[in-house]
Amino acid sequence: MTAQAPEKIPPRLKLVVKPTTVPDKIFFGISTAAGYSSIVLVSLILLFLIIRAWPAFASQNIFDFMFAAGWDNAAQPPIFHIGAMLWGSLLVAGLGVLFAIPMAISIAYFIEFMAPKAIAKGATVLVDFLAAIPSIVLGLWGFTVLSPVAAEWAAMLNKSLGFIPIFANGDANFQRSPFIAGIVVSVMIVPIIASITREIFSQMDQELIKGSLALGATKESTFRRVILPTASGGIVGGVLLGLGRALGETVAIFYVLNVIYDDFNWFNILEPRGGSIASLILAKFGEATSDEIPALMAAGVVLFVVTLIISSIASYIVAKAQPWRKN
Amino acid sequence: MANTIDLSPVARPKTATPWTRTSPAQKLSYAAAVVVPAGLYALYMVLTGADLMSGLFTIFLPLQILVGMLAGILTYGKKGIMDALLYVVTIFFSAFVLVLLLSVIWSLTEAGLKAISPHFFYQNNNYVQVNTSLEYGGVGHAILGTVLIVGVSALITVPLAIATGVFLTETRSKTRGVIRTLLQAMSGLPSVVAGLFVYSMLIVTGVTQYAGWAGAIALIPLMLPTVARVTEEALRLVPVELRNGALALGAPAWRAFLQVTLPAARTGILTAVLLGLARVIGETAPLILTTLPGNGTNLNIFEGPIATLPTYIYYYISVGFDTSIQRAWGAALVIMILVAILFTSARLVARPVGQFRKKGK
Repeated sequence: MTAQAPEKIPPRLKLVVKPTTVPDKIFFGISTAAGYSSIVLVSLILLFLIIRAWPAFASQNIFDFMFAAGWDNAAQPPIFHIGAMLWGSLLVAGLGVLFAIPMAISIAYFIEFMAPKAIAKGATVLVDFLAAIPSIVLGLWGFTVLSPVAAEWAAMLNKSLGFIPIFANGDANFQRSPFIAGIVVSVMIVPIIASITREIFSQMDQELIKGSLALGATKESTFRRVILPTASGGIVGGVLLGLGRALGETVAIFYVLNVIYDDFNWFNILEPRGGSIASLILAKFGEATSDEIPALMAAGVVLFVVTLIISSIASYIVAKAQPWRKN
Repeated sequence: MANTIDLSPVARPKTATPWTRTSPAQKLSYAAAVVVPAGLYALYMVLTGADLMSGLFTIFLPLQILVGMLAGILTYGKKGIMDALLYVVTIFFSAFVLVLLLSVIWSLTEAGLKAISPHFFYQNNNYVQVNTSLEYGGVGHAILGTVLIVGVSALITVPLAIATGVFLTETRSKTRGVIRTLLQAMSGLPSVVAGLFVYSMLIVTGVTQYAGWAGAIALIPLMLPTVARVTEEALRLVPVELRNGALALGAPAWRAFLQVTLPAARTGILTAVLLGLARVIGETAPLILTTLPGNGTNLNIFEGPIATLPTYIYYYISVGFDTSIQRAWGAALVIMILVAILFTSARLVARPVGQFRKKGK
């Protein structure tokens, strides 16, 4: 018997799973439509806000609107500038992130590398629970419990370091300052940064850490030279995510920050004056005149666009830093 | 048979871990590093009458770092200095966050319990002025309003979020990465913007007056990201073999999902829903912009003022009377109890999902 001539190998078929039956088409159709619903929601939000905000953008010079200070609905023509609010939001959010970073990284390190398993588990639950506390409750707490304590810290800072302009305060009043608002905000974003950092730490290559320790590095130098550089991408993403959340925080800041509409507070973080776009919207909405509503909408557009950009960059970085999340 | 080989296992020495051994001197210095700063700080508090928080960062922390470093030098020499710094700072900040959390919980229970009595849960606020004593009135109407609005919102959001989860796990669409990123970004959506959105879409255009259902719509974009992302995680934890098995047996994709994947992931999805509810139950700003506060019980979400717990707190703090702030604390405690119930049940429900978790992690 002669061996059979080898047949031509058929080209490998690419397996394509495409819904063929009607019910399957419906099933995948619905899920795809739902998947796009988030895009639709975001575009709807932008669309409606911009339509309503248009009169304000048209009547106020866009540059003045964004970067100048002043809010007066009685003036002729009315003045609606949110520059001071925008800067105030950034200042408070920046302070919040600044306070939150050491706390969040400490907790993540404590949970992943120091604590025995049982304590680590409990600490994780507590951090998640902190994230679940509604911001109005934190606002109430910040306004009645934290403010007096933080004002005392602020007074001490002012007394010992008051010669540095940042800590100067012409007033004797240390309540309702960006400093205190920053602390309240940091309590809110610590869980966000901590949970992402913890996850990055837990997925780190253990060989790297063991190798470093085996080479004679101390725990501290391992942390500084091995763990932090490896995890930095994810931490930066988590911090940006926290920054986005801090910028959008509304009610809690409303209670602990004295909002001054027509003046910039560039860096005097202990003085009882600051700004916040979200608080502006909340405070002015109730008795807004018909010219004022579009201006508030425009402020909302600015807030939304800024947070969306920051959060998108953050989620992109976090997704990059968590390759195990991909399927 | 003289040359039988002894096959009984050789007793291996236990893995030696000499680095975990601590000499008595080390133990003593560790103990001293904990006790001495705390003791000195306590002494300082007693002598000057300062309270715990005032000198925490300026006196206690430097003292603790100093003593910790000394202990580090005693046990490990120069190398111990920075390690001690790492330990002290890490534990200090972790403990500080714990203190903050405990402070929130403590002040809530302390101030909230003063306001709470049985009738606080079921009475509404008709005929109650801001300075009426706490023997009258309660948050019954606000609890009902919150349950209604959040419930209606969940009715719309949960199917949408589950379908989004299906899109992210079952399809091979190229846009999934974008959607996933967008969902995460949406979780940072400022809540006041969600309120403005519904105000501009439904109320300015005259589709509806201020009403409960407008508030429910405003909660959707806030709840969707949480539910969708946790659902996605839950669906991903279901072994792909289960679904493939069903498909191989000839089930169409929709039946494979509904009868195999979904039941296998149901606890995870329940967790997602509970976490989503916990996320929005305390949202205040969207409801302030879309609903009117009411004092009476209103079960009609399409018309009339409707009170919710967060807006109740908001308005009662704004009024600023002692009794009104006490009422706000009471309502805050009620909301926190609801959040705690949701959170705990989410934890308890989530446990069985562990059966699918990959081994060796």
